[in-house]
Amino acid sequence: MMRNPILLKEFRQRMRTVRAPMVVTGYVASMAVLTFLLLYENVQGQLYLIQPSRSEQVFFVLSLLQMLVVAFLTPAFSAGSMSGERERRTLAVLLTTPLSPFSILFGKVLASSALQCLLLMASLPLYSLVFLFGGAVPQEVVAVLLFQLFTIFIVATISVMWSTIALRSGWSTVLSYATVSFMILVTGTVGLGLQSLAKNPVDGFAASWGHTLLSLNPLWVEAALENAVHGGTLPWVTFALFYVIIALILTPFCLWRLRPQWLRRIPGATRMNERNYQ
Amino acid sequence: MIFTQHLTKKYGRVTAVDRLNLSIREGTVFGMVGENGAGKTTTLSMLSTLSTPTSGHAVINGYDVVKNPSAVRHSIGFMPDSFGVYDDLSVDEYLEFYADCYGVDKRVIATRRSDLLERVGLSDKRSTYVNALSRGMQQRLEIARCLMHDPPVLILDEPSSGLDPRSRMDMRGVLRGLREAGKTVIISSHILHELAEIADEIGILRRGKVAAVAAVQVMLQHSSSQRTLWLESRSDPSLVESVLAADGHVTSMEFRDGGVEFVYMGTYEGQSELLAALVAAGVKLTQLTERATDIEALFLRLTSEVGGSSHDA
Repeated sequence: MMRNPILLKEFRQRMRTVRAPMVVTGYVASMAVLTFLLLYENVQGQLYLIQPSRSEQVFFVLSLLQMLVVAFLTPAFSAGSMSGERERRTLAVLLTTPLSPFSILFGKVLASSALQCLLLMASLPLYSLVFLFGGAVPQEVVAVLLFQLFTIFIVATISVMWSTIALRSGWSTVLSYATVSFMILVTGTVGLGLQSLAKNPVDGFAASWGHTLLSLNPLWVEAALENAVHGGTLPWVTFALFYVIIALILTPFCLWRLRPQWLRRIPGATRMNERNYQ
Repeated sequence: MIFTQHLTKKYGRVTAVDRLNLSIREGTVFGMVGENGAGKTTTLSMLSTLSTPTSGHAVINGYDVVKNPSAVRHSIGFMPDSFGVYDDLSVDEYLEFYADCYGVDKRVIATRRSDLLERVGLSDKRSTYVNALSRGMQQRLEIARCLMHDPPVLILDEPSSGLDPRSRMDMRGVLRGLREAGKTVIISSHILHELAEIADEIGILRRGKVAAVAAVQVMLQHSSSQRTLWLESRSDPSLVESVLAADGHVTSMEFRDGGVEFVYMGTYEGQSELLAALVAAGVKLTQLTERATDIEALFLRLTSEVGGSSHDA
């Protein structure tokens, strides 16, 4: 993986700026303050009031907040990755190297999700406070962390793909944030709305669609992993399948942008579509 | 080394390159000249595998650009006309990145990088960030970048565009170095006389077709044996005319603006003898200058003289 030249270059470019340590420091400091406030608020300053159930609530709020932050932060780092290359006029040269479109995209995805992964790792010690007071079990923390890493990866992948397909960074940013909004706001509000509808007259259709939509919401899936809501046996499977399929659907369009010649492998595709993206 | 046959590229109804035939031998520096929209960039774009021909074939270093693009990419170093750089990398890191893209051995990178930076005159800028380099230095860095994987073929699209005269001169030096290194180079430009200093052969593109191809050496020999001269004197024009007419190398005299413009078809020794004859005849010379040769006009005339426009280089 580290042999990917794009990844190495992106690490050099991104991590040597002042922005990277500032973002990490600011994030960890904010999360630390928030954790302290949540714990303090829970016990009202009386340490003997600390109970495992309250500590679990702190973990729940913290992890959901963390998911929300990284989900909205990821497009900021990935939405301009490929369109930026085009705008800086470095893409043409990159495409004349023997690097395959997959390794270019893979390098971009890993590089643009690296900082958010670092944020998650840097905030892990805060969870030790939760362990200190009991409540959350290590398996739960590991499951939440892995799911958060997967969500970052999938958001970064789709954002990089939008960035490859859209000709301008402005458009790719809009499309990436629209995707994240769908993942969090649309699936959340519509899913919960359908479920609340289903409570009054027994409506299996609304309940089932509500549940399906909520399965596509990372906050809800995470809550299910923490047993805060009922999400079925493997709540993350529907989520993972759906977004992987979305990424697979976008892949041919990315290849069309990067190597229009590959269109010839698709039966019926005409040479007229082989326009220069660079 | 570079061979195209009926290479065509169409964008909708517009034909950017129209049945282009080229044959460039190994070690040749081939200059491609043409106005804006003549099809130079589109041709180079197809040769560098960035776009696919609508029809026809192009072969570089034995590999077809459509059937085996990956092998072509290993064989070429491409510099586009309008390129960007990664500003926040140092010169060393910049070259290392591209060497990694081509899978160059780590042990080779260091020595080759030093050698190339020396060649393009940037060895004292190794730790400098690319955004701190001048435009001319960035263009020379691009040449070094093209050479990091030691390709046999270089495709350079307007490598001197946007440079000041000093930087253009430096760039010409770098390009001459490529010829000495035995690389096969295809350079596009819209300035013919600049290419004439670097290239072995030159082809003119017009509306997507090769209008003419000729060896630069032939052009230079021709231009040195045929010169347009301007003579001014304080003597009677009829005296000047009689002396000039007596010289067998003088053709097409035209008296105007107090002087005479004539074409001299001979060597420089012969020209000196003509000058001596004028002085001996009592002509009071005030000025004798050589008019700049319109190299493009000469080129087109020459190619038509040698049997019309040869479409193969």
